[in-house]
Amino acid sequence: MKEPEIHDNKIVIPSDQNLIAKVDEFVESRLRDRNVDDSIIADIAICATEVVNNGIIHGNKDDRSKTVTLEMAFASDEVTITVTDQGKYFNPEEVANPVDDANLMREVGRGIFIVKNLMDQVDIEQANGGGTRVILIKKLK
Amino acid sequence: MKLSSREQDGVVILEPKGKIMGGPDATALKESIRDYVNEDKKRVVIDLAEVDWMNSTGLGIMISCLKTVKESGGELKLSNVTEKIKSLLTITKLVTVFDAYDSTDEAIAAVK
Repeated sequence: MKEPEIHDNKIVIPSDQNLIAKVDEFVESRLRDRNVDDSIIADIAICATEVVNNGIIHGNKDDRSKTVTLEMAFASDEVTITVTDQGKYFNPEEVANPVDDANLMREVGRGIFIVKNLMDQVDIEQANGGGTRVILIKKLK
Repeated sequence: MKLSSREQDGVVILEPKGKIMGGPDATALKESIRDYVNEDKKRVVIDLAEVDWMNSTGLGIMISCLKTVKESGGELKLSNVTEKIKSLLTITKLVTVFDAYDSTDEAIAAVK
């Protein structure tokens, strides 16, 4: 199994779903270093793993030669997390409404819905290389 | 996530620990439930006391477990749901899909 590469506040992981816990460890450690409240850390970790999972599965189609990059940028009272995959642009907002009664028993399709509920700002755009870039912003206090 | 299980009063109790976020977590929980159902053990409680949080993959795994048990004619309940997960179940309206109890004993009584 290829391991993720970490440089300061950036982690690059091969498209292997088994590595998702490494993303959580990375994100949580950077937030704990800044004494962020546990509940906010959990919200951010939920969303970071969510978006990286999307990049691996829907963006890179589990192609292990492709990577997903997550970068954290800290301002005084907020963090910006940018997640970029190397796949084909995929807008996760174009999924059926997960809280419609007809969709409640679906096993997938509620990721970005959760992310939008837990983060203060979410932007989704096409990356320069053609993949998907998701930008998450969360206040830390 | 680590997974342990036990049986009490004819009810299977699954006790995941940590975070449920995808990857190997999905296989572990789904296979465990499938194995119990195949052994005709279809009354199941998932005790979430030691689960810090789950993401949408984790919620999907819970739904898969619920479907497996229900389709076999069994019952699945949740117990000790933490505040963070309660909040996720509310946001996603899955609070209407799962029966959740404050304690495992209550969940066992409900599933018997």
